Amino acid sequence: MPSDDTPPVLLAEGLTKRYGRRAALTDCDLTVPRGRVVGLVGPNGAGKSTLLQLACGLIAPTSGTLRVLGAPPAADAAHLARVGFVAQDTPVYPTFTVAEHLRMGARLNPGWDQRLAERRIAQVGLHPGQRAGGLSGGQRAQLALTVAAAKRPELLILDEPAAALDPLARDGFLASLMEFVAELDASAVLSSHLLGDVARVCDHLIVLAGSRVRLTGAVADLLAAHRRVLAPRGGLARLPAGVELVGVRPDGRYDRAVVRADRPLAEPSWTVEPVDLKELVLAYLTRAAGAPAGGVPTPAREALR
Amino acid sequence: MIWMSWRQFRAQAVVGAAALAVLAGYLLWLGFDVRDAHAGYLAQCRPQGDCAEALARFARDYENTLLYLAALLALLPAVVGMFWGAPLIARELESGTHRLVWNQSVTRRRWLLVKLLVVGLGAVLVAGAASLLLTWAAAPVDAVAGNRFSTVVFGARDVAPVAAAGFALVLGTVIGLLTRRTLPAMALTGLAVVLLQFAVPNLVRPHLMPPVRADRAMTEQAINEARGLGSITNSATVRGLGVPGAWVTDVSELRTRDGRTLDRRAFDDCFSARDDPAAPATGQYGAAARCLGALDLHVELAYQPNHRYWPFQLLESGLYLLAAGVLTLFGLWRIRRRVT
Repeated sequence: MPSDDTPPVLLAEGLTKRYGRRAALTDCDLTVPRGRVVGLVGPNGAGKSTLLQLACGLIAPTSGTLRVLGAPPAADAAHLARVGFVAQDTPVYPTFTVAEHLRMGARLNPGWDQRLAERRIAQVGLHPGQRAGGLSGGQRAQLALTVAAAKRPELLILDEPAAALDPLARDGFLASLMEFVAELDASAVLSSHLLGDVARVCDHLIVLAGSRVRLTGAVADLLAAHRRVLAPRGGLARLPAGVELVGVRPDGRYDRAVVRADRPLAEPSWTVEPVDLKELVLAYLTRAAGAPAGGVPTPAREALR
Repeated sequence: MIWMSWRQFRAQAVVGAAALAVLAGYLLWLGFDVRDAHAGYLAQCRPQGDCAEALARFARDYENTLLYLAALLALLPAVVGMFWGAPLIARELESGTHRLVWNQSVTRRRWLLVKLLVVGLGAVLVAGAASLLLTWAAAPVDAVAGNRFSTVVFGARDVAPVAAAGFALVLGTVIGLLTRRTLPAMALTGLAVVLLQFAVPNLVRPHLMPPVRADRAMTEQAINEARGLGSITNSATVRGLGVPGAWVTDVSELRTRDGRTLDRRAFDDCFSARDDPAAPATGQYGAAARCLGALDLHVELAYQPNHRYWPFQLLESGLYLLAAGVLTLFGLWRIRRRVT
């Protein structure tokens, strides 16, 4: 982790958001350092959108604090300039042309990079004279991403940007996102329920379920700290010290488990393998859903394709 | 932000400009028509040396047209509030584009303020042009009729309609901010502005300055000059009493010499009074007027003299602008706190 003096991209303490009696986000503590591409994953209704809308200041927390790049979200115009946001369903103005969207960006953002914007628009095959109302979902997402990125923010926040796109459009969108992040030297936070996308682009992970943070950290650290274990049936009933069982399900004559271990595992009857990101996240989500140790409940499986 | 506001307002502005062009064309034609007629009547009556009757006819010729136009101008603020004000924020919230535009490097307050100023300028231009042209077109008739300081006409002359349109715009915007849906915001705004257009002239305007009060003896002749006797509640009142050079805002019930309200039975009795065949009553209320006139009755009139016309124009405009300012502050506070 970088240990410079710059404040973290996101710093949440006891962050809570309630809509009436329903808790959308409960008592979240988070620290996300700079320079990361953060994947925010969880089933629908887990609080992903709430967290991202809090982060860009569209809504205000019920209690707790959230600091984005060292300041309250959307504190002033200067702070707004440092954060780019692509909202869910990537809203654009249907009567505006593509060029007018860029003009809007140029008029409303002091740090606007028109050359970058025009280059990107051309690269993804958008015509400046096209009306945004006639764009496909993928084109609209590319336009919204360009508008958010060409103001050269330090942090890009994307709320389920690729959820509604077909695989090809999604692929192009994620490629664009990574190019922007590299070119701007920016951090990014994107929410998704598509674990494949997260595994592909993210190097930092936040798992949200039932309005709470279940797991957070650098992907490399998380993968290093967890193992997949195949053990004979019942062989996981007693665990060595320093080993925490995250999830387990039967797999033929074996129990297949994800464990968190802070030391190498040397149990002779176990087969120990590295865990992949998808399995890791599913194990935490299953545990959060309060499912019996026997398996992943259907909703969680469906939510995480 | 100005470009952005204009770009979003453009289509509505074009519709407004087109409607204004039609209205302006008609008002220009009307203005010249009024002046021709005025000159025509004067040319006819001058050789005879008495123009009072001819000018009264001239004013009557245009009375209805000008009342319709005053009603149209009274509707203008409602239209501005509904079609320009209500969608200003509500449409962004409804279509989700606020999530795009509020994350540009412009604070929401500035965004709202600039949008209000740009669209507000449009509202002032349209209402100002319509009011100016109508005031000009009607000037010869107003001069003869002497009634521009009256309930309906006052709100369709000079600056009052402009301030009302500006207020309606802000009201529509704030209602849209609260309802967050365009159609309900439009309906509520239309209703609220129309109600205000009734309430302000009848309930607020008469009290902008303390009225002058005068006592008037209701002789048979005075009663016959009234526009009506009694009311739907059958109270002892006379309606439509005028004071030359003033806007009468209130007329008390008929009172007896000792200041008490006339007994309703005495009032009714006079309506069944029989005429004296020797000297029949000639006024429009006949024997009833003679009977009431004999009771030595009087009323108290409250009125605003015509020289208060401009103070009233400025006072009413000031009130609308003050209300618009308060609503704007509320909108700026509200949009910062919580909207989505």
